[in-house]
Parts: sequence; structure tokens; C-alpha cells
Amino acid sequence: MERKLPITCPSCEAKLKVNSLHCESCSTTISGMFELPLLLKLSRKEQDFILDFVKASGSLKVMAEKLKLSYPTVRNMLDDLIGKIDKLQNTPQ
Amino acid sequence: MMTFLFNPFRYIAGLRSLLAGIAVLFLTAVAGYFSHTHFPDILSVKLCPGFPLWYFVLQVFTNWLVISVLLYVAALTLSTSSVRAIDVFGTQALARFPYLLTALMGFFGALRKFGKYIMYVQFHRGEPVDLSSGEATFAVLLMIISLLFSIWTIILMFNAFRVSSNIKGGKAIALFIVAFVVSMIATIFLSRYYVSLIPQ
Repeated sequence: MERKLPITCPSCEAKLKVNSLHCESCSTTISGMFELPLLLKLSRKEQDFILDFVKASGSLKVMAEKLKLSYPTVRNMLDDLIGKIDKLQNTPQ
Repeated sequence: MMTFLFNPFRYIAGLRSLLAGIAVLFLTAVAGYFSHTHFPDILSVKLCPGFPLWYFVLQVFTNWLVISVLLYVAALTLSTSSVRAIDVFGTQALARFPYLLTALMGFFGALRKFGKYIMYVQFHRGEPVDLSSGEATFAVLLMIISLLFSIWTIILMFNAFRVSSNIKGGKAIALFIVAFVVSMIATIFLSRYYVSLIPQ
């Protein structure tokens, strides 16, 4: 089963931060307080959309065909995503 | 299913919807010509005498173009997305599909007979009409269905605007209402002008 990376706290719904990283090869564990990269703050669906968009060479037309949606629907999805990224970038950490 | 009925523009827009929409508009005009059903503004449906075919074509296409132009200008001015004319015009054309069904409903004789009955009973015009209760019920049912088709058209037109312009919420509703009212007034006057061009 594929496990989903949680990005919000299941208890209070605040944004989560990275507390530790672990090396599977030598069992080294690094502890600290790290910000999640911006892309990881997006939902899995939004991350998939960005991946598909890059793979489609940034073509909304190709994306529309792949998702079986109309061109303006896909463009609106992209514009909404741009809006969300702008908001995340402008939110103080 | 509900999305496909009320917001098919999630799946179809651009050239495909424009071509399908133009076909729908043309068929609506032809069906209206044969069933004597005309659309004197962007919302109304009325039975009419035998007007020439060009009148129906001009009226149906005017009803589509007037509101499409207004919505396109509104979208260009107020949307933060890059709006394509083909999406606005194409989806608005396809949104008028229910009026094709309304024009086809005009083929039922009951509606015409009911109209003549009302004219005679209420306004003392025309010949006396013998209307059975079954015919009256059927005519009322058709009028209710026609009303539902008009509501369906408005929902489709609004969703077409929302998808093609990426304008949401209250702003979308306000812009749509303004464009709708202005189009309504403009098409009433244009329709009257077209009728005046028909030789008596």
C-alpha cells in the first residue's frame, strides 16, 4: 500500500514540518526543524497535475486530452494551482 | 450524469462545442420555422405565424451572439485567466441546446390549440375552439416542461460562462445577471426590428 505523506496535523490541522530524516542504508538519523518544500505542501492530486503538466511539455491541450476534460477546465485548474502556490509563497513560515 | 446535464463544458469546449453549438442553433431555427415557435429574446418562447426561415435563423443567432459578446468582453476585462473567444462563444452556443427541444415541442398541436382557446376565451379573438380537458392538461404540461427547459438553459449559460472565463462566486453571478438583462433588452428590440422587415 502506498503511504501518503501527511502535510497537515491530523490533530489541529496546522502545517507540519520535517523533524527528522533517516538513512535506510546506514541508519543515520538527522534531527532538526526543516520546512517542507513548496511542492510537497500541495495535495497529492495537485502534485500529480504538476508532474503530468511537465511531462506534457506544458501543453494545456495535451493535458486536456489526457484528463478527458475541456481546455478551459484544465486552464482553470492550472490557474487555481498558480493562485495556491502564490499564496503558499507569500505566507510567512 | 448531473455534471453532464448541467455543466457539460467541463468536458467539451473550444472548436468542438462551437461546431456542435452552431449545428444546434441552426436546427433550432429550422425546427422553429416548421413548428412556428420563435424566440423573441434570449429567454422567451412564443408561438408565431408563418414567418420566413431567415427570420428564425437571424433571431436564434442574434440571441446567441449578443450575450456571447457581452460575456466575452466581461471575461476579457475581469478575468485573471487568458480567456479564449472560441470557448466563450462555443459554450454559449451549446448552452442553448434545450431550446432545440422547446422548438420541437411546438410540433404538438395541443399548444397551438390551447393558445387559440385562450385568445378566444380571454380576448374574444379568432374562432371558438373545442378544447378537451386532456388536451388542456397536455398543453399545460408542455408549458411547464418548456419553463424547465428555460431554467436548464440559464444554468447551462451560467456554467458555460464560469468555465470559459474562470470567474467565480458572486462576481460571476453579478456579471452574468448584468449581461443577461442587457442582452434581454437588446434582443427584444432587435427581434422587433427583424419582424418589421418581414413583408406583410
